[in-house]
Amino acid sequence: MKKLLALVLVLLFNSAYSQTTPPLGLREKTPNVIAITNATIIVSPEIRLEKATLIIRDGLIEAVGKNIPIPKDAEVMDMKGTFIYPGFIEPFSDYGIPKAAEGSRMGFEGDRPHPTIERIGSLHWNAAVHPEKEAVLLFKPDEKAKEKLRGQGFTVVQTASLDGIFRGNSAVVDLGDGLPNDLILNKDVAQFLSFQKGSSNQDYPSSLMGSIALIRQTLYDAQWYQKAQQSYQLNPAQTKPEQNAALAALDNLISGTGQGVFAVGDELSLLRAARIANEFGLNLIYKASGYEYRRLAPIQALNATLIVPLNFPEAPNVATPEAEADVSLGDLKHWDTAPENPGRLEKAKVRFAFTANGLKEGDNFLEKVREAIKRGLSEKKALAALTTVPAEICGVSDKLGTLEKGKMANFIIASDSIFSDKAKIYTVWIKGKSFEINPKPEVEPRGTWEVTLQPVQPSVPPPLAKFTLEISGKLESPEGKVVAEAETVKVSELSVKENKIQFSLEGDSLKMPGTARFSGRIEKDKASGLGTLGDGSNFKWSSIRTKPYEEKPDTAKKEEKVEMALFETVYPDKAFGRKSLPALVPVAIIKNATIWTCGPQGVLKKADMIVRNGKIEKVGQNLAIPKNAFEIDGSGLHVSPGIIDEHSHIAISAGVNEGAEAVTSEVRIGDVVDCDDIDIYRQLSGGVTSSHLLHGSANPIGGQLQLIKLRWGSLPEEMKFAGADPTIKFALGENVKQSNWGDAFRIRYPQTRMGVEEIIRDEFQAAKEYEKEWKKYNSYSKGKQKSTIPPRKDIELDAIDEVLNSRRFIHCHSYVQSEILMLIRLAEEYGFKVGTFTHILEGYKVAGEISKHGAGASSFSDWWAYKFEVYEATPYNGALLYKQKVVTSFNSDDGEMARRLNQEAGKAVKYGEVPEEEALKFATLNPAKQMHVDRWVGSLEPGKDADFVLWSANPLSNYAKCMQTWIDGRKYFDIAEDLKMRQEVKRQKAALVQKVLKKKDKPGGSDKPMPWKGPKNYDCETVYDFMRGE
Amino acid sequence: MFDKRFSIAIFGFILSIVAVSSLFAHDIVPGKKQTKAIALTGGTIYTVSDPVIPNGTIVFDKGKIVAVGGSEVRIPAGAEVIDVSGKNVYPGLIITNSTLGLVEIEQARATVDVSEVGDINPDARADVAYNPDSDVPPTIRSNGVTTAQIVPQGGLLSGTSAIINLDGWTVEDAGLVRQAGIHLNWPWMKVIKAWWMPTPEEEQQKNIGKNLKAIEKAFEDSKQYWLAKKGNQTGDFKIDARWEAMVPLWEGKVPLYVDAGEYKQIEAAVALAKKYNLRMILVGGDDAWMLTDLLKANNIPVILKRVHSMADREEDDFDTYLKLPKVLLVAGVKFCLSNTGFFGHWDARNLPFLAGTSVAYGMDKANALRSITLWPAEIIGISDRMGSLEVGKDATIVVSSGDIMDALTNDIVYEFIQGKKVDLDDKHKRLYRKYMEKYKN
Repeated sequence: MKKLLALVLVLLFNSAYSQTTPPLGLREKTPNVIAITNATIIVSPEIRLEKATLIIRDGLIEAVGKNIPIPKDAEVMDMKGTFIYPGFIEPFSDYGIPKAAEGSRMGFEGDRPHPTIERIGSLHWNAAVHPEKEAVLLFKPDEKAKEKLRGQGFTVVQTASLDGIFRGNSAVVDLGDGLPNDLILNKDVAQFLSFQKGSSNQDYPSSLMGSIALIRQTLYDAQWYQKAQQSYQLNPAQTKPEQNAALAALDNLISGTGQGVFAVGDELSLLRAARIANEFGLNLIYKASGYEYRRLAPIQALNATLIVPLNFPEAPNVATPEAEADVSLGDLKHWDTAPENPGRLEKAKVRFAFTANGLKEGDNFLEKVREAIKRGLSEKKALAALTTVPAEICGVSDKLGTLEKGKMANFIIASDSIFSDKAKIYTVWIKGKSFEINPKPEVEPRGTWEVTLQPVQPSVPPPLAKFTLEISGKLESPEGKVVAEAETVKVSELSVKENKIQFSLEGDSLKMPGTARFSGRIEKDKASGLGTLGDGSNFKWSSIRTKPYEEKPDTAKKEEKVEMALFETVYPDKAFGRKSLPALVPVAIIKNATIWTCGPQGVLKKADMIVRNGKIEKVGQNLAIPKNAFEIDGSGLHVSPGIIDEHSHIAISAGVNEGAEAVTSEVRIGDVVDCDDIDIYRQLSGGVTSSHLLHGSANPIGGQLQLIKLRWGSLPEEMKFAGADPTIKFALGENVKQSNWGDAFRIRYPQTRMGVEEIIRDEFQAAKEYEKEWKKYNSYSKGKQKSTIPPRKDIELDAIDEVLNSRRFIHCHSYVQSEILMLIRLAEEYGFKVGTFTHILEGYKVAGEISKHGAGASSFSDWWAYKFEVYEATPYNGALLYKQKVVTSFNSDDGEMARRLNQEAGKAVKYGEVPEEEALKFATLNPAKQMHVDRWVGSLEPGKDADFVLWSANPLSNYAKCMQTWIDGRKYFDIAEDLKMRQEVKRQKAALVQKVLKKKDKPGGSDKPMPWKGPKNYDCETVYDFMRGE
Repeated sequence: MFDKRFSIAIFGFILSIVAVSSLFAHDIVPGKKQTKAIALTGGTIYTVSDPVIPNGTIVFDKGKIVAVGGSEVRIPAGAEVIDVSGKNVYPGLIITNSTLGLVEIEQARATVDVSEVGDINPDARADVAYNPDSDVPPTIRSNGVTTAQIVPQGGLLSGTSAIINLDGWTVEDAGLVRQAGIHLNWPWMKVIKAWWMPTPEEEQQKNIGKNLKAIEKAFEDSKQYWLAKKGNQTGDFKIDARWEAMVPLWEGKVPLYVDAGEYKQIEAAVALAKKYNLRMILVGGDDAWMLTDLLKANNIPVILKRVHSMADREEDDFDTYLKLPKVLLVAGVKFCLSNTGFFGHWDARNLPFLAGTSVAYGMDKANALRSITLWPAEIIGISDRMGSLEVGKDATIVVSSGDIMDALTNDIVYEFIQGKKVDLDDKHKRLYRKYMEKYKN
């Protein structure tokens, strides 16, 4: 019954705001004309008016200013001492949008694969792509969430589904009462995007690079769809293009008239999203991660607007030394620096709004804003981040964001400047209607009161005729004491509600036995009421305030020293990060070393090498020392070219395999280079200077690959090896036919080596026909092109087409002879050469054929017996291939082994007597040739890049230790500097731990130990669904 | 340096045999029992227990070493004399914590006998499943490793290990110690938050507790069993296969091997061993560098699974494990090197090279050699027979033409296991020869 009543009331109430909904019962017509006077009004981040007046009429601001006339029909509210701010706007939420459940994970131990979804409606083939979702159709006000948002000062939010990759269009809604129809202020404001596939049960994409490829292809498809529809209208005499509501919904975004809000998980992913925006000319706003301070310069260069969370982390648990051991310097620095993120963004002149999204249960949004202000953010920017900037993001600047005439009457009334710690929000106003947050004390009870007691019945006088009541403390929670006859008693249970006051006191020492209770009313400086003593006698009391309350300056607060982050940000901002790249040494000479040139000069003993401006100038004996040269004494040392790893999986973010489909040539490792991976530094410690970052081997045609130079401290784009030919991963055999994936994985084509051949052939053929189609279309006149549906741009086939035209080169994971021959013959049939067979443990069986075809071979030195297809492997493989004049290298497929590729190369001497210098080429010149970068690296020859390593002994020996690693004439690793850096890591960590221990709340940090992140060590076979969860 | 003459000389000779014999069998004939004394002369003898003897002589008979020394050593009449001048003579290398002979191909289920169902399997015995005809051990022998401790893996109490020589017709020829120890695989004790961990944190926490309780219960129950059996007077005592397997442990006849790497795991494992007064050997010991005092005080030796490993924590020194042998040496913690874990059973052949790398990162060569010979022998309890070249020990001897610990020079030319001359051919060499034939023209 109660529920029904409530429903009826809501309906009645709602009818007042509705324009098309028929009213049930009487019509609501309460006027809304209010004048708020005497307040400090912060009109905008720039304008502040003291003792000003705000006039509201029918939900809008009619006027604002000092000394303005108050309309006769207005209700006047004296708000002396309060502060009025424009209502805050939350630009990123899914308020009122139904939440989707997390989808299932694909994995070895997960359930069966889900390659497809049930198709309903003319939607996208991938369940994570639903740009057609409209918040305006889904929005349902949520009373609880609304109250919470208002409690933090929000009056308006932008809301959209936060599920999936293309998430749908947002709406901007206010947090007042009413029907959705009334609350929605703006629709189709932005397409929301992310890299996370959320509730989609479909396996693809299972990696970050897969998400990126899916976004890219979807945008191309949307472009095609637009064009196809137009052409079809002009000329219906052609095959009708498909109907697709999802692609149609992207019209605004791709044509640049609409905007997107792209949510990212870290600073590198922000840059990744920005690359997509740049590629497609999208107008993107980034929902950032709180890590932006780590890479400020490139983020500043985007000139974009960010939505910044205030998700400052809890201090990590460092309660015990072993707990501390699991907390990284990066974790500690982030804890120490995160609150400075907004301030640093301001200094970098980045435009941003705040969001409460990402705060933990129990976090107070405003407290986080205040923390950011203490840590360097200006109050003006803070306010802009809460009002004007989000108003612009939401497309409502004309009606919200400031307190100007004509705008919506959305504002906050607070007890104080909102950024001061003691400020309390009293009310939040939305469209002229007030919502109470914290009750504003109606009267000021504080001060010194002289209280006189009189008997109710004249016959019984009170034992004490007079006392003094002193009320102090906070206005919302005052404290009191009673002074009489040199005795002081603290009063208990003092409360002031509206104008009513009540309190009690232990009166024994004041001649009032027992607990005396008082209640009464305050009228300005007078008060009166009734009292009851412990013995049950009643009396009246009256009082006059003799002294107003004087607020004492809060000395304790002022002394609170703000401690800024202890250590400067380095790149990457963790252990062994650098402030800047190592200096380019203009001229250096290494004297008296054994130099393994891996070039025509062979091995030179007691030799010198001159390096100038990042290039090798000269190698030889008794070279003259150039002027101003930096000298390195190479006595007893060996110098080799930098080690090059043909097969590496380091420095890749969120997934090395896009294993959900058999052909994924659309994905690019280059999109997901993780420049912060500590393994980069560790490769340097083993003399590695270039790594070819490979897609895994989960499918016959994997992703596009990326060769990088290990320029530790740089950004992903800066690490990429300029000029290198593009490459792509293919894979054959057990992995791609899912032989060892478990019984659940028996439905993906192919499951045999026969099918592997067929699917690759099919793809080659498709790419060939695709190229033809495009050539045909491109040959049409402009007019004919306009009326002809163009071929669909397919980034999967684009990559294969490059392969067929020898503009991209295959690195093919392969083991057994049959499959090697298969790919050779297939490539020959389509008129190109396979680049390099990688792993290739049975390469020795067809070394002649490989040699004749002209492919390279990059083998494991001695791996075998880990699966059936490597049961015929032999460590003599390298030697046999080499002897058949195949360009042969050894690779790692393992971040640890990569650091010892020099030793691995030594095994070619042991197994098959490859001459030592030729063996060293297995890890230097030969991989460089395989990647077509031997013009620049791989040997120590004049004109080549100064990428070299100093070793303590013959580099092929197990006894050799890497002493220095140079790239481009810069010293990226030095065993002596490493020792110093270790000390620095320890020093910084100790200081930060001390800072955690000195914290007032929770010294020692979080109650929970830092979860173990584990070593990140991918290999070829790492298949996992990365795009779930956070 | 690789002895080219040697390898080239044998090619032509063996090729003809291979062509025929490959039709019948692919296995190598195990070494014949030693029938007369053999003397290796002129080599540099790395006794390991005593100083290196340049130009030394070592004599062995009936499978035992009878003399080691310099020119003073008398060669018995009728002895077979093998000139090993310019070469190095070592005791056979020992690989611990291995699955050799239990696995043929890791990802071919039918060929894998490593982990039993369930968590408590102390009675699962490695020697029962050992396959002496596996193609893998000959490739391990080829680099100087003669002896392996083979160990069931997985679960909590994984099983009982055995120590075998890598040559023999059956496990009964090859077995050196059939029941060498009980193996406890200490459960992970930290909550993991990583891309590969789908289990929620609370559930992980619960599982950790469950595992620890299961260990506690197994030790309580098996101890109760042992005490009850010892004190049983009626003669109708019922045998529990699991706890029966643990009786040698309670009797102090075999040690408890605990596979544990992380700080908390090691701490907890040592506490367990102390509580029950068991002789413990730590396997893994990634964080041993933080706990050297605890290990030393409790006399717990460490089998380092694989020093060729990446440091676990982001800011750990890049060479945390490469230098771990040196760290333990300095701290006085007994240890030996193994080469198991991430890579497979087949990787045991690289054991000597891990010792080589440890030299690059601080160890001295003599102790590096000990860490793959005498120290593993002492740790797994066979130092009365193996680990050094001393009179009375098994004649398990390896001759390399170069430094055995460097892949560049490791070149095993002779190998004897208990005096039996081992055929050093293996599948890999055979394939090499076969395909050299293909490319002759």
